[in-house]
Amino acid sequence: MKNGLGVGAMEVARGADLPQRSVARELSAFTRRNPLAAAGGLVGFLIVVMALTAPLIAPSDPLKADFRRMAKPPDATSFFGTDQVGRDTLSRVIYGARSSLVVAFASVLLGTTVGSLWGVASGYLGGRFDLVSQRITEVLQSFPDLILAMAISMAIGTGMPAVIIAIAVTRIPFGNRVIRSVALTVRELSYVEAARAAGSSQPRVMFHHVLPQCVAPYLVLATAHLGVAIIIEAALGFLGVGIPPPTPTWGNMLADSLTSLVPRWWLVFFPGLAITVTVLAFNLFGDGVRDTLDPRLAPAFLRMLTGGRRA
Amino acid sequence: MRKYLLRRALFGLSTLLGVSLIVFVVLRILPGDPLVAMFGIEGFAKLAPADRAHIMADLGLSDPLPVQYVRWMRDIASGSLGRSFFRGDKVSELILHRGPISAEIGLMSVLISWLIGLPIGIVSAFRPNSLSDNVARTMSVLFLAIPGFWLGMLIVLAALFWFNYKAPLVVVQLWQDPWTNLQLVIGPALVLGLGQGAYIARMSRSCLLEVIREDYVRTARAKGLQEALVVMRHALPNALLPVVTLSGILMGFVLGGSVAVEQAFGVPGLGRSLVVAVIERDTIVVQNLVLLYSVIFVFVNVAVDLSYAWLDPRIHYR
Repeated sequence: MKNGLGVGAMEVARGADLPQRSVARELSAFTRRNPLAAAGGLVGFLIVVMALTAPLIAPSDPLKADFRRMAKPPDATSFFGTDQVGRDTLSRVIYGARSSLVVAFASVLLGTTVGSLWGVASGYLGGRFDLVSQRITEVLQSFPDLILAMAISMAIGTGMPAVIIAIAVTRIPFGNRVIRSVALTVRELSYVEAARAAGSSQPRVMFHHVLPQCVAPYLVLATAHLGVAIIIEAALGFLGVGIPPPTPTWGNMLADSLTSLVPRWWLVFFPGLAITVTVLAFNLFGDGVRDTLDPRLAPAFLRMLTGGRRA
Repeated sequence: MRKYLLRRALFGLSTLLGVSLIVFVVLRILPGDPLVAMFGIEGFAKLAPADRAHIMADLGLSDPLPVQYVRWMRDIASGSLGRSFFRGDKVSELILHRGPISAEIGLMSVLISWLIGLPIGIVSAFRPNSLSDNVARTMSVLFLAIPGFWLGMLIVLAALFWFNYKAPLVVVQLWQDPWTNLQLVIGPALVLGLGQGAYIARMSRSCLLEVIREDYVRTARAKGLQEALVVMRHALPNALLPVVTLSGILMGFVLGGSVAVEQAFGVPGLGRSLVVAVIERDTIVVQNLVLLYSVIFVFVNVAVDLSYAWLDPRIHYR
């Protein structure tokens, strides 16, 4: 596995003579190299800010029905129109960012972390543990993502924690596979061997010597999966197994728009646009992070993520 | 070759056994009582405890879990797959009735993805960083971000507006009325095809660019072959392998995506049945459909593995 070896070797070389640079310099360098990714990062950041400050910037209460203004198209008072019970679509889209982002960040963090720790352990320990882990991963990867998430979310009930767990489980195999392959090669590097020879315990070698080499691929993985997580969350909401109404989410807003006999275009267009812009922003940022953290490995890494079965 | 085939099949089968176990366990830890879903909270409260126990026994839900699991396996072996809680019909009938539509959508979407993705990838790799390459890459980045079900809703909206389109409510099979059937499946197939096509275009571009740097491609150029011939004859066949693999992996995207996209178009396919069953908590239907989707996913990827020997003569399976 030559790509895995690349990660290990490169990280070692970098760690030795990494010049200390300020965050601002680092950011400006990133922007110059990857203007698109920087733009994606900026938009993503603005969406996060929008979600955090929702009560301040939303023009009205997302849950307040106004029966004098039902199903109004966009106009000067409500820029994105209103829904069947007169709730302001713009406010609902702004508040919807909260559920989307919380679910996306939490599920990717949870799923990738569990998967990565598992991957480190199975790559480093090897043997029967690795064999069994690989079989379980194989089984988990045999489910289409959305279908597995639907089944889990049906089993443990709707609501935010259920949705987070459902999506997190679908992310575990990716973390496991990628990080395992990194651990497999790092295990063979001489400094790890030296640590073992010096009498370090297995957990110590794993956490102090192998784990740090997995940070870069971990970050690449986590950012790469944010977009997917947002789409799955929206799909679950759309299918009625996500976070239930009245909490506004982009997915359940889209589901809501189907309930009227004549669909209103603004109820379809704006929530979906919010999903697309957010996913686009995170995907562009993720691509940039990948190119920055392992420039030489980008195509091989992509293949590992997508065609990982025999990478 | 035969030995490899056997080993691969056994491996796939054991994976599916694991899948069935996970599905079964996940769906039996349901905190909600299926009777509540069936009768509503009030109806459930009115039921006498004896009736409750009776219905549970009728549905086969009061047996110990291993017994239930074995019964499920027996139902699969007999081909009936068990009965729906609500309608009492066999799940196999549901699949036979609804399945063909979804299968058509899936197959057609894969076809569309190759028809769109591959030419775009080739054109992109032909002249990297040209205008057409940049347009193609921008489009693929965009289509990777657009949720399929939203695109579907927009198409339905536009069709309603301009063509007075009505959502189809009944299943029309290909062999009954091909034209109506095509209207049923073309929308979802197109949306799913575009989504996959974006991945295919990206992958074929990057693989072609990698292959084009190889010595034998330079040799082909050096002996004076036209650029088109160099790409089509020499570069493309060697760049295709990862794209085929990707297409197999994208099957997960198709299977999952079709559920949401069918819902968006209001197409009465298998995905719709799954959504309805999940909402109604019809455990038997859900467990069979989830297993079916995984069976297809695993089967396709085994087929992709086997196609390697055919696509690349250097590969021999032993």
